[in-house]
Amino acid sequence: MTSPSPTLKLLVVDDHEAVLGGTVMTLEKTYPTAAIRTATTVESAQTELSYGAPDLLMMDLSIPTAPGATSEIEAGIELLRSLLERYPELNIVVQSAHVRSLVRLKPAIDSHQAGFTIADKNLPMQEMLTKVDWALKGLIYTPRDMRAGIEVKPEWLEVLRLAFKEGLQDKAIAEEMNVAERTVRHYWTKVQDALEVYPEAGKNIRIQTEIQAREEGLID
Amino acid sequence: MPTAKAPYPNEQPAAQATWQRQLVPGITVIVLVVILRLLGILQAVEWEALDSFLRWRPAEPTDKRLLIVGINESDIQQVGTYPIPDATLAALITQLQMSEPRAIGLDVYRDFPVEPGHTDLVEVLTQSPQVFGIDKITQEPVAPPPALPPDQVGFNDFPLDRDGFARRAFLGAVPAAPHPDAERFRIAFPLLLAEAYLAEDDLFLSNGRRNPENMRFGDTELIRFGANTGGYVRADATGVQMLINVRSGALPFEVVSMTEVLTGQVDESLIRDRVVLIGITTPSIKDQFNTAATNAPTHPLVYGVEMHAHVTSQILSAVFDGRQLITTWPDGWEYLWIVLWGGVGMGLVRLIARPAWYVLAVGLLGLGLGGLSLTLLWWVGWWLPVIPALVAFTFNGLILPGFYFYDQTLRSRIAERQRVIEETYDAIHNGPLQTLALLRRQQDTLSAKANEQLGNLNQELRTVYHRLQQESLATTAQLQLGNQQMVDLRNALHEVLYEVYNETLQRDFPGFDTLKFKVVKFEPLQESWLTAADRRSLCRLFEEMLCNVGKHAVGAKRLTVDCRTTDTENLIRVADNGKGNSTPSASAPPSPFVASPGGRGTQQAQALAARLQGEFQRTFQKTGTICEIRWPLKRPRPWWQTYPWRPNP
Repeated sequence: MTSPSPTLKLLVVDDHEAVLGGTVMTLEKTYPTAAIRTATTVESAQTELSYGAPDLLMMDLSIPTAPGATSEIEAGIELLRSLLERYPELNIVVQSAHVRSLVRLKPAIDSHQAGFTIADKNLPMQEMLTKVDWALKGLIYTPRDMRAGIEVKPEWLEVLRLAFKEGLQDKAIAEEMNVAERTVRHYWTKVQDALEVYPEAGKNIRIQTEIQAREEGLID
Repeated sequence: MPTAKAPYPNEQPAAQATWQRQLVPGITVIVLVVILRLLGILQAVEWEALDSFLRWRPAEPTDKRLLIVGINESDIQQVGTYPIPDATLAALITQLQMSEPRAIGLDVYRDFPVEPGHTDLVEVLTQSPQVFGIDKITQEPVAPPPALPPDQVGFNDFPLDRDGFARRAFLGAVPAAPHPDAERFRIAFPLLLAEAYLAEDDLFLSNGRRNPENMRFGDTELIRFGANTGGYVRADATGVQMLINVRSGALPFEVVSMTEVLTGQVDESLIRDRVVLIGITTPSIKDQFNTAATNAPTHPLVYGVEMHAHVTSQILSAVFDGRQLITTWPDGWEYLWIVLWGGVGMGLVRLIARPAWYVLAVGLLGLGLGGLSLTLLWWVGWWLPVIPALVAFTFNGLILPGFYFYDQTLRSRIAERQRVIEETYDAIHNGPLQTLALLRRQQDTLSAKANEQLGNLNQELRTVYHRLQQESLATTAQLQLGNQQMVDLRNALHEVLYEVYNETLQRDFPGFDTLKFKVVKFEPLQESWLTAADRRSLCRLFEEMLCNVGKHAVGAKRLTVDCRTTDTENLIRVADNGKGNSTPSASAPPSPFVASPGGRGTQQAQALAARLQGEFQRTFQKTGTICEIRWPLKRPRPWWQTYPWRPNP
């Protein structure tokens, strides 16, 4: 869900001042008109969210619940769990190297209806900016470690079948499946993440998806 | 606002376990004590407690309404013959009568003449309405002195407890069948004497007003003993009986010897207006009772004449001085008292946390309970079930918390260790790892080799943390999968199942190699009534289902996993589209489900399904194999609520 509004609202959550500063600086360079707010604890993040959901939330997993508390991954996981529950349309970028601890949230991530990307903290800033961009576009990106091969939900398969075997457009698919067109678009991003098809300059992502889906046997 | 949630949202099983750890053993102890008492196993200790408490009371003043004339060893020596001849007894009675006592009780058998002087005694007895004799009506009966009319004869039997001690007295009884005169109700010797004494104050024996079963003099009701009175369980309460409240102290009564009376050495005031009991007071003649309640020098033996004196004195003191009789609570209150103290023992551990203070508190409360019971017996005459209450209290108060404190210490040690690990990691995370992260962002400026090494360093540091964390998780909260990976069972079930799925699919099984893709659905399950053991079993079963696909599916391209809640039930299903192999080749490793359809794995799965009141099935089709377990959303009714005659809602 790319925000058409001129003032893009971003919220960055990280317990480490140095990292937070670096991230904000990089983001400011890329999105000069954006309003960037920061939070260092679970509590302050929740306070920020109570003023209104931003277009994108970027968070570190290891954060303290309140000022003075020690940082722990469990706190970040719980914050993320509640965000996925309460803000199904919030674009989220998770900065983490603890992919394993995120595995158990996979069912909730799969049901999330907005952009969700995971950026390895150790990767260069450019990679992080790509993940931010993808999340703002409503795309899904999860690292390969989080998946056991290609993993799809039944609904996503149905979208592939209706599109590539029946030749239907999104609108018709939505009617056929009795869901909103937005949801169908979202299923596309999910299945694209499962097939590891991501935007590439000069390539048609739908056709890429079809090629990959046929190769993997998702459609005959 | 999503407020700070407990880090582990599924801690109810743990809380429930704490509840069970404390309540179940405590209640078990109480129930056991109650059962032991109902079975009569605690009777003996309750009797001993009563004896001790009666003995520990402060001394009471000597009773001035009674005098015991003891026929002691030197009296017998002086007379030179035994039994004491009738002439001596006649002289003794005549001598006593000169000082005008209210009643003379002759606690000596005289069913046959003992010459010389039988005619003298017959004469004295027939002319003295204030002289009373004895007979014996139980076991081997002994006849009364023939010269006395029946209303001047009382029986001298005592009902004995199973340990041979006398704690109860007969007030009246109908003799047992073999007795020659079995139909007539008669009065016991000590009551007969009290009756004669009280008649001069115009107080006569009648039926109780509060309880018509009681005997009564004026306003004083003699509390009748019942089969389950106090600590007694199914005792023989035939006739009319009463618990003996012996007079405490070393000198309850004044005792003079026969010789002293005969030689006129006894002051007249010791005899006048009193009940005088004549009886044997030498151990050479067997007329003694076991009673541990008195402070007699012959403890625990008491001469028969003294026992009668205690009973007569108890009746007279109750009527004139309001001295307490022994009262007990109705059975229901007694058991409530026991349960209450058992409950105090259970509750105490929650109030006092420090073991030293705790032990002190238990000791003081235990002593307090003993002291309270003693005081109530002393002041009010209440005989409370102190031993059962004390047993329930100390068991719950001392032994169970021993386990509890041990458990708590163990837990806090584990928690402490966990905290150290977390703090260590946080220190590493907030320092070196952040520096490392910043460093790696500038990878353009570093050489490829340095980059790679930094990456390795990063990975190594994180691995250390994960290993420590996994080891420190309490074993009950985690499940070890086949590939040695640990899964934290405290999270929501569908999340745990997803982790199981994720880990298992990474294992090296031939069936997984051919898989092109998986169709998965993990949605929250209705798990509120599942126990921790159920959750663990479900995860195990799910792992087994997945492993079977890995081991036995042939050429499966698609794996479908479904974990969700439908309108009526929970469902976990694993299906593949392989050719399915219900008869595995000899080389295939034996599978719990497949190798023998009724094998252990299947049985366990069936047992789990039965426990959840659900269903487990595995079906082989041409298009693949489906394995699933489904169970209802609502907790099944316990068996005792599903009797056939009760309609199920």
